[in-house]
Amino acid sequence: MKRWMSGIGVLGGAAVVMLTVAAWTKPDKAKQDKAAQIARGRQVIIQQDCGGCHGGGSDPSAKGWLAGVMSPDMEFKIGPCYVDPAAKPCFTTRPKNLTPDNANGTGRFTERQIFNALRYGLRPEETPDAEISGTTPGKGNFPLHPHYLAPPMPWMAWRHMPDADLWAIAAYLKNGVKPNPNKVMDSEGPPDFWASAMTVDKIGPYPAKPFPTENERQ
Amino acid sequence: MTCRTLQLPLILVAAAVFPILSAAQDHSHAETAANIVPVSRAPGPAVLVNESRAPHTVEVTITAEPAKLSLLPGKTTVGYAYNGRVPGPTLEVYEGDKVIVHFRNRLSEGTTIHWHGLHIPNAFDGSPLQMVPAGSDFDYRFTIEKGSAGTYWYHPHPDHNTGAQIAKGLFGALIVRARDDPLRGIPEKLIVLSDNRFHPDGSLDFADPESMQGGIDFENGRECAHIFVNGQIEPTIKIRPGEVQRWRFINASAARVYRLAIPGQKMLHVGNDGGLFEHPVEVSYDRYSPHTRPADWETPRDLLKIQYSGAAVRKPVVIPATLRAVVPIDTMLAVRTRVFTLQQGFINGKLHDMNRVDETGKLGDVEIWEIENIVGMDHPFHIHGFQFQVIDRDGKPEPFRSWKDTINVPKHSTVRIVIHLADFAGKWMYHCHILDHEDHGMMGIFELN
Repeated sequence: MKRWMSGIGVLGGAAVVMLTVAAWTKPDKAKQDKAAQIARGRQVIIQQDCGGCHGGGSDPSAKGWLAGVMSPDMEFKIGPCYVDPAAKPCFTTRPKNLTPDNANGTGRFTERQIFNALRYGLRPEETPDAEISGTTPGKGNFPLHPHYLAPPMPWMAWRHMPDADLWAIAAYLKNGVKPNPNKVMDSEGPPDFWASAMTVDKIGPYPAKPFPTENERQ
Repeated sequence: MTCRTLQLPLILVAAAVFPILSAAQDHSHAETAANIVPVSRAPGPAVLVNESRAPHTVEVTITAEPAKLSLLPGKTTVGYAYNGRVPGPTLEVYEGDKVIVHFRNRLSEGTTIHWHGLHIPNAFDGSPLQMVPAGSDFDYRFTIEKGSAGTYWYHPHPDHNTGAQIAKGLFGALIVRARDDPLRGIPEKLIVLSDNRFHPDGSLDFADPESMQGGIDFENGRECAHIFVNGQIEPTIKIRPGEVQRWRFINASAARVYRLAIPGQKMLHVGNDGGLFEHPVEVSYDRYSPHTRPADWETPRDLLKIQYSGAAVRKPVVIPATLRAVVPIDTMLAVRTRVFTLQQGFINGKLHDMNRVDETGKLGDVEIWEIENIVGMDHPFHIHGFQFQVIDRDGKPEPFRSWKDTINVPKHSTVRIVIHLADFAGKWMYHCHILDHEDHGMMGIFELN
């Protein structure tokens, strides 16, 4: 009898353990999904060479990984001065700190603001956290006076990545990287925040024209 | 008086008080219906006539209506005015007074009167949530808090339309006096600063939002070439040689920041948004000549002329070393720290929505607000209904305590303030006081229950 009772006790204990495991399974799944998303974001970031400009090259263990400009040789000169240093206008663009530091990085941006930067070229610190409807300034909630990322940032190509990859990049930047307090000075730019350089006739439409175009064959 | 592009320490509500060496002038210009004079000839803002005979009660009527203004020489500008004047007539009250304002909106659009800086019941704050529709009337009723003597202003606050209505002429001064004012007896002047932009025919110039200028105004705020002192361009102020005066400044400009200086004269800064400091502070701007001014200052511009006339004043004036006590809000009592992240044109990632409450709090709580500006432009942060105290700026402790309702948060910096959310529940606005930013969504709603 006593043995039987203790048997129930053991079974009971096992049931508690099983219930506990069951209760954990669901968050575990979400956790795994998030981990997979972050891993995918890391992979995309390495293969797209984000670190080539933002620091660390393609080595996540490198010093200053994605922490932005740490020395003047990481800055870009945009405009005619690219070929002739004395020519004007000349704007200095500084790759930003992409780590989730609150003061100097992406800590205060939402994943959607980062998504909007990659999909629409809209600077996260100057574009609200909102789902963007439309691609023409003033149409839908696309800003009438958009602030675009400066030219060396190839968002006009990367905006064609699948949604999932852009969200994965945002997830990795927000959750998969340690904050680095490196402070990057503001970039310079024209008063229209590059709006005249980012029109459809200059950067093409999004989404791209359907296959096949006149240059392509089936 | 020469104006350097001046940075008043409090940006939009420049309620600074500067005694200077200069002279007196009669400051009482009681306004009656028969006593309307063209704004360009008005010697200073008129004062609203008290219609009440009851003790400690101020009852006035303010009408907002379209008006033909003579702002530029030889030109007529169609705008708005409070009681036919720009700036509107000054509301002068004493601490403890019961105030009743019969407001009549005779515009063809909705408006409000926001009593900028006052600690009063939420229903009478004149926020965008309390619109007074076109053609209707509303009575504002509130009591002036003890200890709130200072220089304030009143202005409209409709959603998306505050900048335009102020630019059209709707702004006026509000002076709260204390019976035990340590500076009583010193002659005063009121200087209301504003700027505006005009078409060649004198009509107001609001840039097409899609134009380049529209984009610049959207970005920087509508900063305009014509600067007005009490609605006039470079007026002359007569003062007696050797006189000490107290000047109250209000900056009613949409975005322009001023650094004020009177060459060769000593200025003491004795107060700001919420009244007097504990001790006067000498203003250092007057030490700069045009050759030694800091590089980021623009070319100096003259704001007004001082003309010395009359007999010299020989009687010395003593400015007390201690003006009053500014009781600290104890940061140890703070129940939470709230973070506000200022981005370019919005707060905490969100554009303003009249139907959304962004923050909630409990009546009576003391809170620390950490206001961080993560973009490359200064943003003056204004809170409705409650005066606060600055704790530190980028970790650097504030050198002395004062009461403030607007704090400039310089680019890429963080300011911490302590605020006591006492007395009045309701939905309160907080926003950037660059009017174009406020109108385009850099505002939020804080609900206190």
